[in-house]
Amino acid sequence: MPPKPHRVLLDRVSGYADEAAAYMRRRRASRRPFARLYYSGGRAEDHAEDSTAGSELFVAAGRLIEVAGKRPKP
Amino acid sequence: MPDAQASGTVSGDAAACALAYLTEMSPDLRAAAIVGPGGAVLAASAQPDRWGEDVATLFDVADRAGDGAVEQVHIGTEQGEVFALRHAGLTAVAVTERFALASLTFFDMRSLLRDLAAGTPLPTFTPQEGGKSRKRRSEGTGDAT
Repeated sequence: MPPKPHRVLLDRVSGYADEAAAYMRRRRASRRPFARLYYSGGRAEDHAEDSTAGSELFVAAGRLIEVAGKRPKP
Repeated sequence: MPDAQASGTVSGDAAACALAYLTEMSPDLRAAAIVGPGGAVLAASAQPDRWGEDVATLFDVADRAGDGAVEQVHIGTEQGEVFALRHAGLTAVAVTERFALASLTFFDMRSLLRDLAAGTPLPTFTPQEGGKSRKRRSEGTGDAT
């Protein structure tokens, strides 16, 4: 028996909502600030933004970004 | 493994040439600088007087954050990304737009520092009329246009 028309519509709308929610989750994850240090031998270390070292790194990086300024217009 | 030191003194002209090459190679680059072994800024694309101190602070903080000397630093913020790399006593720092290709940026910076330290002449780009297309030429090929 075919599903009722309003069910098809509801399924489609909830499908789009799920896609949008997943997109927002991915966007949040990719936009999260990070601080990564690499050592010789390929070892890497991540420092969270709320850690002492992490916050100091973000402050130092912020100064460099300020020095760099905005991207020149082509 | 400790980095080898630069074979000779790197001139400001060579560093400026290297920086121009890096700028041409990386479309996402906002600004960059090359700092010498003593902390002196050899070349910078913006505010040369400020880079030396800020780069020293960055590596000071990075060295204290972990155990041992840091080789590369990659920090991403909402405002942009910072790439910093030490090799052979030289330091290259680049500030890019968000979501720049990290491995490519580090590769370009590393090969640039390697060439600078070895005293290898870098290829240069000559912008063509209109500024969009670029023609690559190597130094010493006699391509005088």
